[in-house]
Amino acid sequence: MDAYDAGSTARPGPDEEPQHAASAVAPPPAPPSPEPRTGVAALSMRYQIGAALALAVVAIAVCVHIGMVFLHVAPPNTVTKQHGKAIDDWIYPEFEQNWKLFAPNPLQQNIAVQVRAEIGTADGGTRTTGWYDLSAQDGRAIDGNLLPSHTQQNELRRAWDFFVATHDAQNRPVGLRGALSETYLRHIVELRLDRADAAGEGGVVERVQVRSRTTPVPPPKWSDEQVSDKPTYRVLPWWWVPTDGTDRANGTDPAGASEGGAR
Amino acid sequence: MNRFSLAVSTGIARVTESALGPYQTAVIRIGFTATWLLFLLREFPHRHELYGPEGPWDFDLAQQLIGTNGSFTALIWSSSGLWFEAVYAFAVLTSVLLLLGWRTRTMSVLFMVGVLSLQNRSIFMGDGGDNVLHLMCVYLVFTRCGQVWSLDERRARLAGEEHARGERVGPDRVGPALWSVLGFALAAATVAGRLDGDLTVPVILWGVWLGLGVWWIVGRLARTAQPRILLDVVGNIVHNGALLVIMAEACLIYATAGWYKIQGSRWQDGTAVYYPLHLDYFSPWPALADLLSSSGAMVLLITYGTVAVQVAFPFTLFNRRVKNVLLAAMITEHAVIAVVLGLPFFSLAMIAADAVFLPTSFLRRLGGWAARARARLSRLVTRRGDDRTPPPEPRTPENPEQAHVGFTA
Repeated sequence: MDAYDAGSTARPGPDEEPQHAASAVAPPPAPPSPEPRTGVAALSMRYQIGAALALAVVAIAVCVHIGMVFLHVAPPNTVTKQHGKAIDDWIYPEFEQNWKLFAPNPLQQNIAVQVRAEIGTADGGTRTTGWYDLSAQDGRAIDGNLLPSHTQQNELRRAWDFFVATHDAQNRPVGLRGALSETYLRHIVELRLDRADAAGEGGVVERVQVRSRTTPVPPPKWSDEQVSDKPTYRVLPWWWVPTDGTDRANGTDPAGASEGGAR
Repeated sequence: MNRFSLAVSTGIARVTESALGPYQTAVIRIGFTATWLLFLLREFPHRHELYGPEGPWDFDLAQQLIGTNGSFTALIWSSSGLWFEAVYAFAVLTSVLLLLGWRTRTMSVLFMVGVLSLQNRSIFMGDGGDNVLHLMCVYLVFTRCGQVWSLDERRARLAGEEHARGERVGPDRVGPALWSVLGFALAAATVAGRLDGDLTVPVILWGVWLGLGVWWIVGRLARTAQPRILLDVVGNIVHNGALLVIMAEACLIYATAGWYKIQGSRWQDGTAVYYPLHLDYFSPWPALADLLSSSGAMVLLITYGTVAVQVAFPFTLFNRRVKNVLLAAMITEHAVIAVVLGLPFFSLAMIAADAVFLPTSFLRRLGGWAARARARLSRLVTRRGDDRTPPPEPRTPENPEQAHVGFTA
């Protein structure tokens, strides 16, 4: 269990004698010195019962918590199928975790999120921009960067993951989270188009279209594997951009937004 | 039978009479707060985009999602930009104060409030590093992580010295003031219905507040030493339980990461490490990645080595020497990941979590180096400044009189 203390106290070296004191027993009042003894041994029977009670409560809480976290990160199994609700109630929202880091297999494709826009120009016409490769922009921002920002490394990448996880193959949102993910993704591409000044002078971004381009990572040169280097695309419908700038009223109603844009 | 009951009573004595691992809990306190502080400073220019009310994950979206899961974030209490700036500043301030170990217990709670407020506000911005911090900031609240290397420890030591010289030690005023202000804030938030979501965080906040109140009252009013010792024992038990949870959590992280990898074909054929190195989002140094993956045998070695170490680590805890070797390997690997995959804050958080398993002797040597470095620095500064001589301050307390909460059994 406590590997380090088992090791370091079982065989105390010559420099491990009690000289290292840790006095911050109590934050506020410095303990008066008369009692040399601490711990349960210094307590009368009545107080020992209190200590035993505390020990039991903490021991149970610790065991239950570790057990719940274990079941939460374990693969679906007999126990999680029977008691999934109890486990979720204990874990969510604050103890949620996922440690499948690059597992079971690491991602073997570069997924680039790209966007183009339909611009309402100053003279009343419309024009469609070319595709902006936002992931490539992120990649360039990360290149040679010792401290990549979450805005470069996580924001778009995870927003796309969120979108994919909450939409079916026909790009229809599933539940509230699907709706939220659409608005979120649209906000990100709007922000990026704005930064790139896609609308130009006097222009307004009226609609946006997002697509993903998935390219397999080429196999290592010492491998004889053959992988197609052809990218595959997932193209989403056009989405209207709310004109008043705020979409509080209707923007989170993605059905309206995507129907309007789907033609 | 007799041996069994002896073992049980020895175990009970150990977990009740002292808060184990004072150096380990102090080093993770410093590690996690430093990670969070550096992250906040690094993201300062991007703070609005990440967590602000007008960011892509705007106030309205956050409110809808939190409406469904009830997670805790103070940022949902108001959509005002000023409130956002205040919470961000609060998160920076509390991480500095907890790092220094000033009013450690109180600051650990406020640190948790800062971490959860920002992270739960925009959960889709985070990665594994944020997840580690999210969990550990909650667990830290239950530990006595300021026993060493903290301003609390220094204050207690100075008070003890004054007491030994027969000087009267004045009552603590800051503690009760802080407690009153925070109690008022907590009551206000509760009455206003701001804590109506999931119960975990409100229970922790109220629990610690009440606990500190009881601690203070007992310290001042109790006529015998018994109630105070009981509280001390309870504090030790809670600390030791939390320390166990922290270590179990670290083991679960490695076990999950390792066991799931074993099932993957790429980890089996020994090419897995090649792929992340060639993802656009995780390759800040393409030339370095090419160099690392130039040899198939090398990639195989790293791939198998990673899985072996991750799967094996929890079991090596039963052998101190093997555990230390693996610990060094994992800390090295995380340091490499920080640069090669461009994940500095994830790696820092993982190294901080690893540090809970570092041996006491190593940590004390580390403390000694830090103390000497600081002494040299302060000598340099005072030589330049006025000739006021500061009293020398050993970083690790060496007062045998107070050894009762040390690490010795």
